[in-house]
Amino acid sequence: MQARSTDLGRRAAVLAVGTVIFLLVVLPVFRLGYVVWTEGSTQLDEVLGRPGLGEAVLNTVLLAVAVTVTAVPLGTLVALGLRRADVPGRGWWRFAMLLPVLVPQFVLGYSWTQAYGRAGFTDTILGLVWPSVLGPWGVWAVLVVNTVPLTYLFVAVGLATRAEPNLERAARASGGDPASVLRHVTLPLLRPSIAAASVLSFVLTMESFAIPQVMGTPAGFTTVTTTIYRDLSLGSDPLSFVEALTLALLLVALTVLVVIPADLWLGPRLRVTRVANPEGAPIVTPRGAAGRWIAAGLGGYLLLGVVLPLIALVTAAITPAVGVSPSPGNWTLDNFRFVVNARNAEALGRSALLAFAAAGLLTVLGGAVAVLERRRAGRVMASLVTVTLVLPGSTLAVALLITYGRWIGGTLTLILLAYLAKLWAFAHRPISGALDRLAAGEMQAARASGAKALTAVRTVALRPLAPALLGAWLICFVTALHEVTMSSLLYGPDSDTLAVVVLNSKELGRIGATAALSVLLTLVMLLPALPLWVLIRRLQSPRHPRAGGARSLAHAR
Amino acid sequence: MPGPGFACHGRWRLLTLLPLTLLPLGCGAGSGGGEGEEITLYTCVSDETIQPIISGFESDNDGSEVKLFRAPTGDLNARVAGDVRSGGLKADVIWGCDPLTMQGYVDQDLVGGWSPEGAADIPEQFRTDDYVGVAVLYMVAVYQDGAPAPSSWSDLAGTDYDSVAVSDPNVAASALGALGYFSQEPDYGLDFYSTLEEQGAQQVGTPDEVTAGVAQGAYDAGITIANSAYLAKDSGSPIDIVWPEPGAIAIYGPIALATDSADSTLAKDFISYVVSEAGQQVVAEAGSYPTLPGVEGPEIPADAPVVYPDWPKIDATKDSLLSDYQQIFGG
Repeated sequence: MQARSTDLGRRAAVLAVGTVIFLLVVLPVFRLGYVVWTEGSTQLDEVLGRPGLGEAVLNTVLLAVAVTVTAVPLGTLVALGLRRADVPGRGWWRFAMLLPVLVPQFVLGYSWTQAYGRAGFTDTILGLVWPSVLGPWGVWAVLVVNTVPLTYLFVAVGLATRAEPNLERAARASGGDPASVLRHVTLPLLRPSIAAASVLSFVLTMESFAIPQVMGTPAGFTTVTTTIYRDLSLGSDPLSFVEALTLALLLVALTVLVVIPADLWLGPRLRVTRVANPEGAPIVTPRGAAGRWIAAGLGGYLLLGVVLPLIALVTAAITPAVGVSPSPGNWTLDNFRFVVNARNAEALGRSALLAFAAAGLLTVLGGAVAVLERRRAGRVMASLVTVTLVLPGSTLAVALLITYGRWIGGTLTLILLAYLAKLWAFAHRPISGALDRLAAGEMQAARASGAKALTAVRTVALRPLAPALLGAWLICFVTALHEVTMSSLLYGPDSDTLAVVVLNSKELGRIGATAALSVLLTLVMLLPALPLWVLIRRLQSPRHPRAGGARSLAHAR
Repeated sequence: MPGPGFACHGRWRLLTLLPLTLLPLGCGAGSGGGEGEEITLYTCVSDETIQPIISGFESDNDGSEVKLFRAPTGDLNARVAGDVRSGGLKADVIWGCDPLTMQGYVDQDLVGGWSPEGAADIPEQFRTDDYVGVAVLYMVAVYQDGAPAPSSWSDLAGTDYDSVAVSDPNVAASALGALGYFSQEPDYGLDFYSTLEEQGAQQVGTPDEVTAGVAQGAYDAGITIANSAYLAKDSGSPIDIVWPEPGAIAIYGPIALATDSADSTLAKDFISYVVSEAGQQVVAEAGSYPTLPGVEGPEIPADAPVVYPDWPKIDATKDSLLSDYQQIFGG
């Protein structure tokens, strides 16, 4: 009887999540395809055969591969390095590694050109210029800096939820050297997390727009997303609009070619069956010089990747005009005063509410797909929610507008739906990578012992998954808070968000004010991150021994 | 006696309240319902210009409300295209930043068919039967302090400048206007861009990026819009500005009535206000160049030469023009 009711519950869950996927992913993408088919099918050859498109597609795919094969190993190395207890200031480095993802992409791209470009910060101070900062190498470098925190977070969450300290200890006791333990025990356990990080890294690079536009276009380096932007910029004639949609669907097709086979074939093979209660005391690393080298490497990476560019940004924010010497005598707060006002604060409040709501719902939706994808009926769900991640923001916004604009156009609800559609995979992948941390029989054991369903979920499932859920929530919140493209297209008269403020500032041509706003935005991103960091540290302390998530994080060391 | 889950009821209650936080989200646009009439305006004009215009109009028309969607041209195009495919254009008035975009809307029968009385006072080169120009951008030359001042556009392609910045005509309509103008001029043509490129010219995104690059010292000179250059110079950037021969290139921003709002008196009143002397004065005070003769706007040097692109011709040759340009600057 109970088995039958559980089966019914599963079917209902598949149906419910399937309906949401249909509404947020399938229907909008179908609407895009319908517009392309009905309005542009006769010109399809012309659109796909246009000069330069082949180069843009090749650039996009090569860039996605190049970023993935760099960012994933780097993020994995950082996560493994920060597992060592002998890294000085380890808690701080863990937080600092997330800094690049807290900086909005357009800010990161702009600040790199300000730092390393001609007449930039290093040119002025040291006479050092990196001529390739504008072009494919610069785009690749900044995308890697922007992606490494995500891959690090995925692998760190994987270590927190999947590591088997006892197994590693047994391997060491059996004579395995650190390299072979890493190769034969740790990395195989991390495979789902690394695979999830690779898929997301690939897809995020495919859909990245701000950095290729700011740093690639000036050097003639185009991608599919920058080509779509051009079509929309000159697209008051319907054909250009249809061209933009066609290219967006091309991106979807390219992604589907990679992601669906990976999800269907690789996913089940990467999972492992776990025994109950796999935890053990954390492995204590002997103190040595390696920890200091790791800290030095991280320091160098963050200095070049984030700190110097942000210093250049702050310099631009506190000087009255571009080209004026940033000496203390010229410092001013006028740019900050220009952007701090009641209207902008209201917009920030709306953005924060949206991001909060989106992150909460996404964590639930991501968890639901992570659970359901393990069954035959739900296997394709993971791939489907990745489809809308790869759609460029402007195109996804158009898709939602033509699907639901008739009823909720111009409302915050439509912007929220856009966030849910865009970021679903963000929430799903880290949770999915951590889910086989759950021992299969524990939930049944809890239910058989009389726990109600929700109690069993809370006491058995949520605790070990806490780091993954927290990571998913944090990524979604931060990304939604500094999202610009979709909300600037979907907002209405009474629903302007932070994106509108950013665009208004950029369009006024006041570089100093835009830099000041970027600095403030970065600080705003830090606000939720700091308390979370403190909370995690508190949970990790021995005074909170029952905190499962913290305990898992401790095991990741 | 409470079970193990009881202590968490507070948290679960919070979860159940989450959907309630979304309720106000549905109450954004569309709730409207002020005392008087309201219209919706779509525009790409800067917030600094559009806000005083709306305030001026609303104070002259007590109880009326102008609901605003403001975005760059690309987003504006996407929004309009989305509207058209989801029940029709939601705007009553569109104020664009270049004639090409507006002509595209006219060709789709989304706007046009009406001009305000005051349009007759606007110079002919800034209007058609369907829309009327209410603000102008002037493409001028900007150069670093200490660099030689170009007297004509062709000087920028000379050896005096190691690097010149131009904005991307695929992104900025003002740059497309300049490209269209040069391509039609017998003394320039696309060879002008080829020579610029051979001399080391760099293409950046927007005119603002040209201004910033020159001010920063990354480029010796560039082609940008006058508002951007004067704003930077007045803020202290080490640059100067020239209106070169044969003239600064004028790109006008037109305003038009939506065809579905042909019966909206308030929409027509709004357009009439922007075209009127009072409205043009507000445009000028907000830092944009007005089109109505006699209204003093931002700085224009005495006897500054001005030229006007042939917009219908640019519209007809846009695709081949951009394709040829792409052969020169790539991308």
